[in-house]
Amino acid sequence: MSTKRFLLQKLLQLLMTLFLVTAITFILMQLSPIDAAEAYSRRIFTVDETRIEAVREQMGLNRPIVVQYLDWLNDLLHFDLGNSYVDNRDVFLIVGSALKETACIVLLSAVLQAVGALILGILLYLTRKNVIGKILAFASIAAISIPAFYLATSFIDVVAVRWNLISVSGNTGLMRYLPAALCLAVGGIAFFGQMLSKAIQQAMSEDSVLYARCRGLGDPYIVVRYAMPQAIISTVPTFMQMMGMCMAGSAIVENIFSLPGLGYRIVNSLTNRDLPVIYATVLFLAFALVIFNILADIIQRLLQTRKGDL
Amino acid sequence: MKHLKWIIPVLIIIFCFLGFLIAPHDPEAMDIANKYAPFSAEFPLGTDQFGRCELSRLLYGGYVTLGIVLLGGGIVLVLGTLIGLWLGRANAARSLVFSSLLDAVTAIPPLAYLIIFVGIWGNSIPTMLVALTVSLILRMIKLVKTQTEIELDKAYVLCAVSSGASRSRVLFVHILPNIIRPLVHFLCLSCAEMIMNISAFSFIGLTLGDDVIDWGSMLSEGRSMLMTHPSLLFLPILFIFLCTLAFNLLAKQLEGGDAA
Repeated sequence: MSTKRFLLQKLLQLLMTLFLVTAITFILMQLSPIDAAEAYSRRIFTVDETRIEAVREQMGLNRPIVVQYLDWLNDLLHFDLGNSYVDNRDVFLIVGSALKETACIVLLSAVLQAVGALILGILLYLTRKNVIGKILAFASIAAISIPAFYLATSFIDVVAVRWNLISVSGNTGLMRYLPAALCLAVGGIAFFGQMLSKAIQQAMSEDSVLYARCRGLGDPYIVVRYAMPQAIISTVPTFMQMMGMCMAGSAIVENIFSLPGLGYRIVNSLTNRDLPVIYATVLFLAFALVIFNILADIIQRLLQTRKGDL
Repeated sequence: MKHLKWIIPVLIIIFCFLGFLIAPHDPEAMDIANKYAPFSAEFPLGTDQFGRCELSRLLYGGYVTLGIVLLGGGIVLVLGTLIGLWLGRANAARSLVFSSLLDAVTAIPPLAYLIIFVGIWGNSIPTMLVALTVSLILRMIKLVKTQTEIELDKAYVLCAVSSGASRSRVLFVHILPNIIRPLVHFLCLSCAEMIMNISAFSFIGLTLGDDVIDWGSMLSEGRSMLMTHPSLLFLPILFIFLCTLAFNLLAKQLEGGDAA
């Protein structure tokens, strides 16, 4: 299959997946016991059955579900997701700012993970035969086993409350996102560090490395020049996929640090039964995940074809 | 020494799961006069703010948490494998539709499923079980499907087919044994993730129900007493950590075999 056709197929799959995501989100929300008409009216006036019925009529909630879905899809295509029931702000603006917040955390965390994993991966590889390596390997498994929410709470309890190094909330700039990104990154660093060290090990057993050794090159040079690039490339697709998962995983950390990202919005809008915001946040989180997944697929494919050419 | 690496994690998991059988006290029994008791022979890990035995509560919490994890893991393994094998065998057109559908369903994060299901059925153990299983089983199906597709292209499958093996025989007798290892590896990692997710959700208030004892809710109760009684925070975290570590170690062992 040519690369062009592959990309076309992936694009088709992306569109189809996004469409299905909207359908699933819609169905799930229909299943939920939140009655949109009731939720909407409770915000404005005291509850009264006839009033609710009137609102239902006005919002078109008594039409068949398929019609409602197509209507909602149409609005979505016109970037109109309605207004929040709570403060009447445009949902697109709310989701936009939440997306920015989550993106900041995840991006910063991705950088931390990449750098940390590189360092840990090389360390794990270099020390793989001695005691330090055994301890490091165990420590990285242990690090995966520490829940991010616990890191986050202890961070607040110890660094912010006990030592007073930063304030609990109201930080600006980098410090606003760094603690959350760090808590989110610890597991990833350990995970990718292990993966990278394994990939280096594999790359070091290849013929090209044997040839490099025959040329009289030293091992450290071979690791950096030959094995590392190959190892990094082979972990990139998984890394992309994990970044998608991080978007969702940051929900817990966002809640603990009270950063108004997507996950924080989901939990919050659910307590407020703020239907338009729930729809939009779940939808955009899912969109982000789908896009990251497809990107991972494409990168993997492109790398494979490049390898084939060589 | 080699077996020890398998036995220790399994023992930790069994202890946390069935430890409630040897719990010294009723985890609900309150004794206000005896609150914040230090470690003693009667209360091995002391008591909490209501004078309840901390050890018994931890053990019951383990029973609940690991019960969900093991049951969910079992369902995921069996159903995920069956559906995945079937899909792996399906033709290309059907495969495109299903893989988009799978991508779509897996794209919605577990948290979103959980929140929506909690909205539908309220906070309860079954809700948590269903939400975790749904979000995991789809990833499992995807994995089995990809693995099956890879195996189907190999020569031994062709040999099996040409010597007259039926479709189900090829799938279950020939392909399944070859792909089971990565599947169990994935399952162990998922179990570790499930433990953390259950505790995390319950920590931020998406609990398993009002009267259910679990590590996450013990943590959030313990957090307010961090300065005065740190053990109420650290003991649940220790149990969560140990169980997750046990599953991760098992995964590591399984991974070691197929390094090639």
